[in-house]
Amino acid sequence: MVSNKNAAVTTLQNILKWIFLGFFLFISLYPLLWLFLASFKGTNLDLQTNPFGLPEIWHFENYADAMATAKLGSLFFHSILVAGFAVVVNLAVTSMGAFILSRVEFRGREVIYTMVTAGVLIPIISFMVPYFTVIRVLGLYDRLLALIIVYSAINIPVSIFLLTNFMGGIPQELEEAAIIDGCRFHQRFTKVILPLTQSGLATAGTLCFIYAWNEFIMALLLTSSESSRTIQLGIRFFTSQFQTDYTSMYAAIVLSIIPSVIIYTLFNEKIVSSMTAGAVKG
Amino acid sequence: MKKGLIFVLFVVLISSFAFAGGQQEQGEVTIKWPSIWVGKDSKAPAVAALVQQFNEENAGSIKVEVEEQPNYDGYREKIRTSIAAKIIPDFFTINPSPTSLAYYDSDGILDFNEVMDADWKAMYNEGTIAQATHKGMLKSLPYEVAITPVWYNKALFDKAGASIPSNWSEMQDVMAKLKAAGIIPTSQMTGGSNAWTSMLWYSHFVASLGGPSAWDKPLSDPIYVKAAEMLLELYSDGNTSIDAIGGDAGVSGGHFLAGETAMFINGPWYIGRVKNDAPEVYANTMVDSAPAAGSNAGAQIGFLQTNLIAADLRESDPAKHEAIVAFTKWMSAPDNVARISKEAGSMFAIKFDSAMIDDPLQKSFIEAANSAAFTNKHLAGVFKAEVVSEFGQALGKMALGDATPAEFVEMLDKANK
Repeated sequence: MVSNKNAAVTTLQNILKWIFLGFFLFISLYPLLWLFLASFKGTNLDLQTNPFGLPEIWHFENYADAMATAKLGSLFFHSILVAGFAVVVNLAVTSMGAFILSRVEFRGREVIYTMVTAGVLIPIISFMVPYFTVIRVLGLYDRLLALIIVYSAINIPVSIFLLTNFMGGIPQELEEAAIIDGCRFHQRFTKVILPLTQSGLATAGTLCFIYAWNEFIMALLLTSSESSRTIQLGIRFFTSQFQTDYTSMYAAIVLSIIPSVIIYTLFNEKIVSSMTAGAVKG
Repeated sequence: MKKGLIFVLFVVLISSFAFAGGQQEQGEVTIKWPSIWVGKDSKAPAVAALVQQFNEENAGSIKVEVEEQPNYDGYREKIRTSIAAKIIPDFFTINPSPTSLAYYDSDGILDFNEVMDADWKAMYNEGTIAQATHKGMLKSLPYEVAITPVWYNKALFDKAGASIPSNWSEMQDVMAKLKAAGIIPTSQMTGGSNAWTSMLWYSHFVASLGGPSAWDKPLSDPIYVKAAEMLLELYSDGNTSIDAIGGDAGVSGGHFLAGETAMFINGPWYIGRVKNDAPEVYANTMVDSAPAAGSNAGAQIGFLQTNLIAADLRESDPAKHEAIVAFTKWMSAPDNVARISKEAGSMFAIKFDSAMIDDPLQKSFIEAANSAAFTNKHLAGVFKAEVVSEFGQALGKMALGDATPAEFVEMLDKANK
């Protein structure tokens, strides 16, 4: 009798669990599904009169239009270069910084750490005039290098926060053993700490990549020509002051989110493990 | 060895980004123009052709490089940041408003009074130069102008057995007939940065109630509350679509394009959109002034839509200054303006031969402008940004029944102070 009751409760719990999960799966995926279906509709009017249904005619040419109008091919290449190099520069700088902040005792360490990580609290818009002025003075306006520098700099607080905490969780004994084996200071970083920080690097790198891939306002501010335009600027080519070609723009958006999805899928496990690293200490 | 090779490749790649630049012929002056008339903008093809022709005719001496800025909000942010950083673009455009008048205080912007002669000024329609003059300076040159009459879908009016209303009482009767025929009377919106469509309805009512100097009256004047009562009525009893509260320009325009609403307000730039996306609606559309809400009939809401601005390089780079003046004259030449107007449906502050305009709806706009009893600005062209952004919020509150028309005006007044 008790066993039957327990089985019924378990079944009910399972049903509730699946309803709950299904609900969140639906609200997570539906906007993407809607976007995907809308990208195949004919005109803005089709979208207005039939916002939730399937397209009456599937307009695959919207994707060709998206590629041609905004020249998405070269913009993809630019965005990959910018996001890729921004990740490399960001991780190169922050991994070294985090190593010092987490493994070396010195006066003012906490103050420096707090000052750097407090950067996440400052709205990006407040950096616009200083960044614009500095980039113009450096002669980097309308260069992809300007975006690489800015994106890697903007992500320093987040990366320092993640990597410092991650490196702080690595046992001190490993480093001491390396010193006994003859490791020099820089070798403790390159041969011991860095290899053990792969999950943290993957997390910080993924967040930096996604930021750099999706960023719009700095790209608009610091570039002007087609030779340095990124994908997010290209998507705006379907809008003008008074009208927007929504269906082609949605096709461009669908294409633009593919790399972010791939990167997140590839590093998903490392990100999750990194986020929970240090939560349980033995 | 391998790591070294990767490092060298990295440095070469980064250097190529940093130092690569466009080739410029010796002695050639380059004018950089961050432009919103690109991409899908209706003026883009005509403007691109004019720039190309100018570059060909001035090959070796002047070259205009268009920096494409398709996103208008982003463009505005970029211009604001550039001016704040005292790095003025060579040539650009603004939407004249009380907020953008702050640019007149910048020393780096050219006062066109210093370079324009009487013949050049005579090219402009009466009053437009005066409208662009602030503190005695002409730091932006009138270019595109607009009127925003009411767009009437005649087919829907015929279906409901209604005729175009000439006053508020007739408007109420017409709305009742339209609803009885299953037609939504008006397009409205509270969203967007300024609740554009509804803000224009309100501006029409204020103009009719207060006359040509309506906006000179303080917000404590009863005309503002009376106009708010009328606007509220347009939001009540099914006189607009249910998605108008929170809706943006896509909502208000979309319902008109779909043939669902019988009355809509917008400027001539929307002609191309209706023509392309809803040819049946286009064929049945006529434009006229709004029904008189008060004793002043036949008013139009008209304004300077876009002004040209240039950097003041007279001392720092006289050659570029001369080139900018030459390009400004080229873009303002009546024949060139006519080319843009014909292709895009735009109206201009510069006089040109309108006989070449063959689009009937565009002709109606020109006739409506010429036959207007008087022309007033819209609310967003008169009040500062705080009032404009408050308008949509206050309207949403009033439409939901959370504020009375008097409270709606109080909210605007508070923002104004």
